[in-house]
Amino acid sequence: MEKTQKSIKRLKSGKALNQVVAEYYLECMQAPREGRPVVWMPPMNGAIEMCYAMDLQPVFPENWSPVCAAFGLTPRNFEVAEGMGYSRDLCGYLRNIIGYVNGPMQAEAAMPLGRLPEPDILLSPNGGCVPVMKIFHALERRFPSAKVFAGDLPQVAVEEIKQHHMDYAVQEGARLIEFLEHAGKRKLNEERLREVVALSDQACALWDEIMTYRRVIPAPFSAAEIGIMFVMVTRQGTAKAVDFLTLVRDEIQERAHQHQGVIADEKLRLFWDNIPLWYNMGLFNYFEKMGGVVVAETYSAAWSLRLDPSRPFESLALKSLRSYPMVSCVSVERRKQMLLNACREYHIDGVIMHRNKSCLPITLGQMDIKRALETELGIPTVFIDADHMDARNFSVAQFQARADAFMEMLLARKGYAHG
Amino acid sequence: MCSEIVNSFVQAWHDHPARLRRLTAAGRKCIGYFCTYTPVEILYAAGFIPVRITGGRGTVEKAYSLAPDFICPFMKRSLEKALAGEYDYLCGVIQSYTCDAACGMLNIWKENLKGTHYHLLSLPYNDNDGARTYLRLELKALMERLVVDTARISANALGQVVDLYDGIRQRISLLYAGRFKGRLPISAQELAYVVLAGQVLPPQDYHEQLERLIHSIDDKDVEQTGVPVLLSGSLVEEPEILGAVEAAGLRIVADDLCTGLRPYSPAFGRGEDPVDRIVDRLMARSPCPSRSKAIQRAAHLRTLVMKSGAKAVIFLVQKFCTPHLADIPILAEELKKMDIPILVLEMDEHWQSSGQFQGRLQSFLEMIVL
Repeated sequence: MEKTQKSIKRLKSGKALNQVVAEYYLECMQAPREGRPVVWMPPMNGAIEMCYAMDLQPVFPENWSPVCAAFGLTPRNFEVAEGMGYSRDLCGYLRNIIGYVNGPMQAEAAMPLGRLPEPDILLSPNGGCVPVMKIFHALERRFPSAKVFAGDLPQVAVEEIKQHHMDYAVQEGARLIEFLEHAGKRKLNEERLREVVALSDQACALWDEIMTYRRVIPAPFSAAEIGIMFVMVTRQGTAKAVDFLTLVRDEIQERAHQHQGVIADEKLRLFWDNIPLWYNMGLFNYFEKMGGVVVAETYSAAWSLRLDPSRPFESLALKSLRSYPMVSCVSVERRKQMLLNACREYHIDGVIMHRNKSCLPITLGQMDIKRALETELGIPTVFIDADHMDARNFSVAQFQARADAFMEMLLARKGYAHG
Repeated sequence: MCSEIVNSFVQAWHDHPARLRRLTAAGRKCIGYFCTYTPVEILYAAGFIPVRITGGRGTVEKAYSLAPDFICPFMKRSLEKALAGEYDYLCGVIQSYTCDAACGMLNIWKENLKGTHYHLLSLPYNDNDGARTYLRLELKALMERLVVDTARISANALGQVVDLYDGIRQRISLLYAGRFKGRLPISAQELAYVVLAGQVLPPQDYHEQLERLIHSIDDKDVEQTGVPVLLSGSLVEEPEILGAVEAAGLRIVADDLCTGLRPYSPAFGRGEDPVDRIVDRLMARSPCPSRSKAIQRAAHLRTLVMKSGAKAVIFLVQKFCTPHLADIPILAEELKKMDIPILVLEMDEHWQSSGQFQGRLQSFLEMIVL
């Protein structure tokens, strides 16, 4: 097994995904030439719909990091960031993007997907996790001519969201629109926003539908295909996301109806908690040799929500308030219930917990979730110590030793003979 | 060794667990907090003694059953102590979302430790009318949660508590002002004990102790030795660390620590009612890396350097502390523009006044002197 490797894609729509990704980054590069202001922002909030409704180009530096990892460009970015004094103990997304904008982004040679266009506008978040806030502070320094909007977003557990949190998030959304109208020199058309929110809601509905097919045994697709999430990060609120997800849904529906699984003999169904190793998506295939399929993961829950197009401002505020806590330590109790439910619904045999050095917010609370899985459902867990961005924090040998022992134990529990 | 005038603080700090247990046995309620952005005035007005949770130096074993090793020593040692029963007198933790680690740890405490009051506050980062209105509502929601089993907090009672805490902060500021002027006859290590005691003592008692200390200090110039430095970081829970810095030939003339001046500045807020006063003060606080940009901190450090005459800045950072570590490169660049030398030291849970620590301080001192 290699330390870095790509996953095996089995969905035909995987090819369409490559095109969707390439088109998105091409669109980003063309935006300045086409007069569309470029807006750099964090993912998982309602600003994306506002940007698409106003014909602004949203760009997600956080999403660029998995792209860099996939193309093996992170070591150079880390070298630049660490050379600037950023500690290796900091989040890999942070070190990667700071290294990228201060190094390779300025180089002549572009990456396979081009490069990110410089931002005209930075949406610097006051909310979410600390590393993402610090990323944008560093970006403000790197791009001093960009116009900056620092928007507050209450950091509160999903089950604790009260009216005053909603009111404040709506108010900050209104302030953002006012800023974008001024900085982007265009007006927001509310009718257009309702259309965009309706498209976003359709994408969420399709996402939920796609996820329900993973309950089928054998699973029609695995976490190795989770790259489909790309449209939920970068294209929410567009017909492109809806079209792509429709294509994925149709293919998965067909595979489910035909009982076409990921592998010929699915013996074990697994759940992956925490962010994948972007430089080694092939890890998901590793379990297949012993009949294991990773049929669900935490990250997909971030997009499991609905929006009401008739109340676009409130819907986007609620989306912004819920997305990060849903998958982080802000809502450990909610996340625990989400995992327990997922394990029941997806008929999970074992859970792989990625103890992720690059993401404390998702890693914290894992031990409590592990205990709940064991006591309430009798589902075993294995911990994999790694890092979603930095391959230096991942040991192949240690992973194999733990994964193999875990799989053998799960197989024995289900009555399969060893080997 | 500490001088006699601060002995009561040193003793209060070392004895605080026993004292708080005695108070709990006598019917008082204690509630914990990790970070100084917790509005202690509201906790005290609701009938609780607010207690700053600390980790201190030591080993970590039990905590690794609930948290990863790549979390700051403060958080893992606090959990270790809690799991060993050292915080069994607390009836919960009230914490503002200031860093991811503290937020996650609040949830872990809630899941694994006894106590009925666990609550996460979300403070705004911006300061405008909307943010202040929101913060008022967030504080009122906290009050409603706390007063379920106590008397309702009257505006009058809260006002008196805010007065009490304002008085404490004004007295701490007075001590720091004395240090800036070179007229404070106690060392940085001793001052750290004075500050730390205030985070674990009932405020009324602490106020009286501070008053006695201030009256016992003669307002006169104090002989100064050592190269003046500014110390910046989060928690320094072992005052001996400051003693070790000064023993190396450096003199700490100012600090930017949350076990130092940072949470006491400004001393008070303005407003028509006590909640407005709390809001106003929280909004105006000295920049903390968890809630501010490095560039704002650089400006603040610059002011402290100019005010105190510091010749260098030492960053004493908890290992794995994202807010502080992420600011270091920008702060280093900004301070370099001012020709201010810096030294970055990381602390883990086993911190001791090691030869390596002393060696780095001495090399740094030689560099400054040259």
